[in-house]
Amino acid sequence: MTTPARRRLMRDFKRLQEDPPAGVSGAPSDNNIMLWNAVIFGPHDTPFEDGTFKLTIEFTEEYPNKPPTVRFISKMFHPNVYADGSICLDILQNRWSPTYDVSAILTSIQSLLHDPNPNSPANYEAAQLYRETRREYEKKVAAIVQESWNDDDDDEEDDEGEEESKAVS
Amino acid sequence: MEANGEETNPGFDPNKNYDEDTLAQQREIEKEIAAAQSMVSQLYTFDEIVEEYSQEDAIYRQKVEDLKTRFKNLRKTRGDGNCFYRAFGFAYLEILLSNAKEYKRFFDVAQKSKDELIGLGFPQFTLEDFHDTFMDVVKMVEKPGTVDALLNAFNDGGLSDYFVVYLRLLVSGHLQQNADLYIYFIDGERTVKEFCSQEVEPMGKESDHIHIVSLTKALQVPICVEYMDREGDKCNSFTFNPFEGSADTTDPTPVFTLLYRPGHYDILYPL
Repeated sequence: MTTPARRRLMRDFKRLQEDPPAGVSGAPSDNNIMLWNAVIFGPHDTPFEDGTFKLTIEFTEEYPNKPPTVRFISKMFHPNVYADGSICLDILQNRWSPTYDVSAILTSIQSLLHDPNPNSPANYEAAQLYRETRREYEKKVAAIVQESWNDDDDDEEDDEGEEESKAVS
Repeated sequence: MEANGEETNPGFDPNKNYDEDTLAQQREIEKEIAAAQSMVSQLYTFDEIVEEYSQEDAIYRQKVEDLKTRFKNLRKTRGDGNCFYRAFGFAYLEILLSNAKEYKRFFDVAQKSKDELIGLGFPQFTLEDFHDTFMDVVKMVEKPGTVDALLNAFNDGGLSDYFVVYLRLLVSGHLQQNADLYIYFIDGERTVKEFCSQEVEPMGKESDHIHIVSLTKALQVPICVEYMDREGDKCNSFTFNPFEGSADTTDPTPVFTLLYRPGHYDILYPL
């Protein structure tokens, strides 16, 4: 049965394929259009550069009227990302607009990597280092960038959906 | 993991995401409301609702009596923060079922609004999706549409919520287009655009005076609101006249009337 949420997600997927934003990719998991796997490539000129960070996006039937739940699967060290990978970002909570699509969600998270907001910290250590000892912050981030590659090779814990990293246009 | 000693609440973990718990709780409440109330109800008489309406206060009971002298029925809308938009949408389209001239005018305004919103910077791809559904619902009141079909549409989440989203976008568009005017009516240190992204576009955000002014102006539809509060012994009625202060000489007689009780809008039907 097709519902408004599923219909819209099909459109989101089509748009993401036809007009892929730079540095992000995403696709529904094999049997479930309500659960997507996505990858965000660490933006240039940030400590996250060269990292390939995996995320899951979980939609409900209320999408796009309500935002999905987005979570980093790859280990993350960022002022606005919680220990469990969930993200503190206003557009995913109280400033969600139904006009956002998957493409907009992923590019917003990508720019959050670029511009952390240390004033609403989800990871206190990361927020503090970001503010006070930027060098230490960058070191910690460099470590999770490395880990994000290992993730690709031997870590097969989430085996649903192939881990193909789609073209980075 | 050892905390840094500043902790006052031993159960509180600063690195845990509590937002999700709050959101989950909020969704539970929404589900309960959704199960108990239809998005737009059948017609009720005042005798059927007087108990519910006057629970809080004897003053309300007196005001229901006042309403009975001018109105025959009412429809309830779901208390989900979208009630103003849903009440407005349903009441207006129901009127258009029997007013072909006004339908034609509205159809053109609605049709044109898509490009205006895209021009304001709303993303075309998603905006089109909402506009298409919005127009599908609008077209239902073209002959030979029926109230029953309209009522069904307004109780179908896929149609009804998309319709509400589009009305919200129209309000946001109108506010942004006239930002220099509305900036004085916005509280907090916010731009009009920020206000729209916080208080207009997200579903479930309740409407204030500014939202009503804005929607009636965006669509050029005069409406009346009966205010049922604790002041006085009669409801205060207020007409939102979108033509006020302009050279437009269109008849400002309200097209329909809504009932406001603190925090909620329903639809009123005159005697």
